[in-house]
Amino acid sequence: MTAAASLTLAGVHGFVWLRQRRQMASLMFCIMAMGTAGMAACELWTMQQTDMDSYARTLQWYSILRWLVTLALVGFIHFYLGSGRPWLEWTVCGLRTLTMLMNLIFSPMVYYSSIEELSRIRFLGEEVTVVDGIPSPLFIFGQLSLLVLAAYLVDATWRSARRGDRPGAVRMGLSAVFFVLSLSIQMMFAVWGFIDMPIVASLFFTGILVVMGIELSEDMLRSAKLAEKLKIREEELLGERKLTDAIFESAPGLLYLQTANGDMLRWNSQHQRVTGYSNTETLQMKAEEFCLEDQRKILREAREIALQNGGNDLELDLAARDGRTARHFFRMVAVEIGGSPHLVAVGIDVSSQRALEVEAQRQREQMAHIARVASVSELSSSLAHEINQPLAIILSNAQAAQRLMAREQPDLDELREILDDIVKADIRAADVIKRLRSILRQGKPVLETVSPDALFDQALGMAEPEIKSSGILVARKHSKKLPLIQADRIPIEQVLLNLIKNACEAMEDNGTREKHLSLSCVIEGEWLRFSIKDNGHGLNADIDKIFEAFHTTKAHGLGLGLTICQTIVRAHGGKLWAERNKSHGATFHFQLPIIPENL
Amino acid sequence: MKHPETVFLVDDESALLKALTRLLKAEGFAVQAFDSAKKFLAVCRLEGPGCLLLDQSMPEMSGMELQHKLNQEDSALAVVFITGNGDIPMSVRAIKAGAVDFLTKPVNDRELLQVIRIGLEKSYVMLAEKAEIREWRQRHNALSVREKEVLLHVARGLPNKQIAANLGVVEQTVKVHRGRVMSKMGVESLAQLVLVAERLKLK
Repeated sequence: MTAAASLTLAGVHGFVWLRQRRQMASLMFCIMAMGTAGMAACELWTMQQTDMDSYARTLQWYSILRWLVTLALVGFIHFYLGSGRPWLEWTVCGLRTLTMLMNLIFSPMVYYSSIEELSRIRFLGEEVTVVDGIPSPLFIFGQLSLLVLAAYLVDATWRSARRGDRPGAVRMGLSAVFFVLSLSIQMMFAVWGFIDMPIVASLFFTGILVVMGIELSEDMLRSAKLAEKLKIREEELLGERKLTDAIFESAPGLLYLQTANGDMLRWNSQHQRVTGYSNTETLQMKAEEFCLEDQRKILREAREIALQNGGNDLELDLAARDGRTARHFFRMVAVEIGGSPHLVAVGIDVSSQRALEVEAQRQREQMAHIARVASVSELSSSLAHEINQPLAIILSNAQAAQRLMAREQPDLDELREILDDIVKADIRAADVIKRLRSILRQGKPVLETVSPDALFDQALGMAEPEIKSSGILVARKHSKKLPLIQADRIPIEQVLLNLIKNACEAMEDNGTREKHLSLSCVIEGEWLRFSIKDNGHGLNADIDKIFEAFHTTKAHGLGLGLTICQTIVRAHGGKLWAERNKSHGATFHFQLPIIPENL
Repeated sequence: MKHPETVFLVDDESALLKALTRLLKAEGFAVQAFDSAKKFLAVCRLEGPGCLLLDQSMPEMSGMELQHKLNQEDSALAVVFITGNGDIPMSVRAIKAGAVDFLTKPVNDRELLQVIRIGLEKSYVMLAEKAEIREWRQRHNALSVREKEVLLHVARGLPNKQIAANLGVVEQTVKVHRGRVMSKMGVESLAQLVLVAERLKLK
């Protein structure tokens, strides 16, 4: 019965081992079970022996089987718990081997120095053979090996329990210890003849086998459950993978998962379409290899920043396999996967957008050029005065001189004066033209030292008729001591005049509301700020648009005035801006840098 | 060639005043130059005859404002605008307000002198007209109240019968008044009388 049970267990675990060659514990279990079955067979055999010689021979086989079973037990514990001390393992195996060898060589009777007689007793309802003999002193080695085995088991169990990875280890280990110790006691009783009973070591080993078998089965159950869980998890993972795949594919642009040093892990099919590199090629490339060579360093730096700050944006030219490039906007997000930093990067093709911007920029420049050309007409009305005045002086002087020359005795002093005046006026005209050209070419302004007050005076003088006829009240507020500034006088006067005229026009429809024009000039750090404030209809349009060329709210106007003003102010290194007043109207400000005179 | 008439110059640009003065003096004109409208108004008699060369864009009082002032004062000075940055609306306004011409700087001497001559002629005409109107106004003032009433009705083109009915007199009386008005006003025909009434703006 014991043999049958052992063989069954041996069959089951032998099969397990055959299926999973790495399960050495199962192999050991199988060997142990087969050994135990053999032991049971031997025991049964000895019980029925009446001949002393054959009894002794059987005992020798029995001894070999016990050696095998013990080794298999140690092996099982070694492979299954993996917590035994190797030196204990070797001690157990060594002692057992020594016992076995000595039994075979010195003691033909194995446990006995000599067998006196074989007697038949009744044991568990059966008539069995027991030995009366003098126990061999070698027997002590076998007992010692059992004690060391018990110690080994306790130690291995204790260590395994502390490690806590085998929940049934304590139960199994302690049961095994119990059976080993019981075996030892039974052996001593049987051999030394305190009790008349046959040696039934196989029973105890079967006990150990059962305990181990239960443990193994539970293990198998657990692994089956684990496998089930794993399967579910795997399915979930598969679903997750499908989901992320779909997300990758649904991205309108490029989508990448990369390692911290730019190795490509995942990408969507858009990548192949854009770059022309196949998946196998991509796998062997680094992220920076997909962009232009001179931008690779930029990408590497941007990646470092993204890893540090959790994200980063940049724009790059993707270089396709065929050499084409396309500007892309990339957003990188750092993510930790499996404990190491990774980057998710999204890329959007912005090349058409950039092309549009370039085109828009080109158009803007063209527009600015048109604006400058068109500004001739805009400027001419006010600049014409500046130019025509000296021309008129020259012409009239020259014609007066012609008349004087026609006389018999021309007044030479008068003629000299006339020529002097002509020269002066000519220089003045040339000066104006030079300024005009500098404005139109958007060249550097010709700076001269001017007083802000004089600028206001001049501009107000030119706007005087309009201010008067519209009944506008002018207020001037200035910082107490205004510095002289370096400016191109005529263009800046034009700016002031333009802004003043705009303010006047804005107040045309004020009706009964008094028209107030406030001019101020204040020092703000290194800047001098000119402000022109009105209480007219204000700025209805988009406040940024008013500076665009050809944007106008006037029925007659090119919409270039403010554009030109801005160009002029910018050429001076300053800026021009507008704001809505709290109650009525608008205020235009422009800043000019105060340049220290000693510079 | 001597001109008894004075050419007045008003321009804020003194160098130009000087140049124009030289030119016009060389041409034989009497010239008076002023660098602002106010100074001109303070010094000059406005009756004429004379021609005023006037710059449009000046601080304080512009050329246009001065022209307005002259019109108010019933001046017989001819006004010629001369400007550095004139535009069409501005010139139309000036001409409508009675300017002889609207010149832009720089202006050629021939053109300038021609316009000045036209201006002077116009100034004489205006002067003569003003003298005539002054005379007629004096004669009109000498009419009796009833005669003035009759003149008003005649000027409106009403027949004698109607006038008589309106004034509550007989037709014969109206005829007598009319004859007296004609002789007092020094006109020889009904048409002339109506024209004078028109000129005196009797309505």
